[in-house]
Amino acid sequence: MNFERVSEYKYRIPREGKMEVDAAFYASNEILEGLEAENYASLQQLANVATLPGIVEPALTMPDIHWGYGFPIGGVAAFDPQKGGVVSPGGIGFDVNCGVRLLTSGIDREELERRKGPLADALYEGVPSGMGVGRKDFRLGREDLEEVLVEGSAPLVERGFGEVEDLRHTESGGKLSGADPAAVSERAYKRGGSQLGTLGSGNHFLEVQYVDEIYDEEAARAFGLGAGRITVLIHSGSRGLGHQVCQDYVERFLEAAPRYGIDLVDKQLAAVPIESPEGEAYLRAMASAANFAFANRQLIAHFTREAFQKAGYDPEEHPLRVLYDLAHNNAKFEEHGGRRVLVHRKGATRAFGPGIEELPEEYRSVGQPVLVPGDMGRYSFVLAGTEGAMRETFGSSAHGAGRKMSRRQAKKAAKGRNVKREMEDAGILVRAAGRATVDEEMSEAYKDAADVIEATNGAGIGRKVARLRPLIVVKG
Amino acid sequence: MIRMLDHTADVGFELGASSLEDLFEEARRALLMVVFERPPKEGERADTVRLSAPDRETLLVRWLNEQSYLIQDAGFVPVGAKIQIVEEAGGSGCALEARLTGAPLLLEEYGWQGEIKSATFHGLDVTNDDEGWHARVILDV
Repeated sequence: MNFERVSEYKYRIPREGKMEVDAAFYASNEILEGLEAENYASLQQLANVATLPGIVEPALTMPDIHWGYGFPIGGVAAFDPQKGGVVSPGGIGFDVNCGVRLLTSGIDREELERRKGPLADALYEGVPSGMGVGRKDFRLGREDLEEVLVEGSAPLVERGFGEVEDLRHTESGGKLSGADPAAVSERAYKRGGSQLGTLGSGNHFLEVQYVDEIYDEEAARAFGLGAGRITVLIHSGSRGLGHQVCQDYVERFLEAAPRYGIDLVDKQLAAVPIESPEGEAYLRAMASAANFAFANRQLIAHFTREAFQKAGYDPEEHPLRVLYDLAHNNAKFEEHGGRRVLVHRKGATRAFGPGIEELPEEYRSVGQPVLVPGDMGRYSFVLAGTEGAMRETFGSSAHGAGRKMSRRQAKKAAKGRNVKREMEDAGILVRAAGRATVDEEMSEAYKDAADVIEATNGAGIGRKVARLRPLIVVKG
Repeated sequence: MIRMLDHTADVGFELGASSLEDLFEEARRALLMVVFERPPKEGERADTVRLSAPDRETLLVRWLNEQSYLIQDAGFVPVGAKIQIVEEAGGSGCALEARLTGAPLLLEEYGWQGEIKSATFHGLDVTNDDEGWHARVILDV
């Protein structure tokens, strides 16, 4: 793989072969060593993305780059509809609008320690995780579900499952426009229709954490983060409904791509022009799935509030406030460099810098909150969007730590150990549907999120604000 | 032949078999190995699956996605399959019919290991040489 160092944390892959544009990636020395160890497989995936028609220079990956399918994880690519730019479901991922929501509270860590066990139980009972459907006391009929697909989180808030303020602190107000439930297949409804308000499995989780360190007082104040205070981080997406939307349209696009003269170097990059009947249909279905995901995290936040109340925290005295909810698997039309482009983010976070009109007023002077989960044993980070990100990465930043072990390797490493007990000995209570997920998601299976944050902060595409450490982990 | 791959973010496997039908049967077995620690071996339920696709790769992706749909959304764990595949002359498409036997989904008993989002087309090739049929599949989990 041919690349050159541009600055301390930034590298450029010059255009060659079928690439339409240069590519660029961000990495610390440690991250670079990891890329070399995998024989630059994820950089090859990045170079593949750069072959897609209408891509705006450069094709990018964030510092949490790792090997995916089609696009690498951490991939960011913008396409210009005026120049034959394409939309690729594989550039968004099967879990459309997978994302994170952070809740803040005024509860102190010491206070929480006293009710930690009952709270962990209440969260595990109240927030469905693992395989299966949502809570029996929450069911939506088809008409109401379609309303959610069009309107996102708002219909739930109107029914009492949250506060109006939650919507203001959700990316795009918790709704992508242009959704059309008719663009979603019956199988997608069947797979995901009853899964609203569920975490799922794999790397999805709910964590109760405390603010361990603050790096930027001004931004932390704007975000409402206080040292030692309790936060809750929710990671989930569009469940079976979104998975099926991606599945349906990848197959359709594979058939359609040759008709538009699109030569695919990897079938999982299946793409069609944004301005084509197939492309427009996908965007309508994708927006529907994205809205389902916003609503999913809204409902999980409501169940979380209920669980805190059940554990003895009066909601009047100890409200849980949504700091922000954001997507890290999405495609959105945005203005960058004076033109309207469709920005694909696959395992990357929108990270708008200060002064952007769309941000809530109280965050506008410091930049958008960027939530970067680490692993369940160490820490997660809150960053702020920067002008550097607006200039260099289409307003994007990192989304997580990135795995370093395969799931199989992690299970081998966990053999003969009790990972759950090890975490409990370290002060972290774990509630999980099965042992397999806990083993696969063990701390050592992930890169150190601090390395990702070092490169992100160092490259100026995200500003370090605070570090959060886990106290309770709920997994599928 | 099933060989599990070490994919960093997701899971994958390489398959080998003497016929295309056997390759698809190996794919079914590999999927069960991904989903369960202790996949069931016997079942009394029955189902029939019919699929068609423009090419073998798409047929394999649809076959795996159908299996995961049956497990996750219909509670039917396919423990055996009698598969027939018909390929149109000139490579214009292929069709599969499979008679499945299945067991009910028992998460704890089988050691459920997590959901499958989808089979992917990433690096997917179904090939045939002197040694038989081969495929390599990555699943998003």
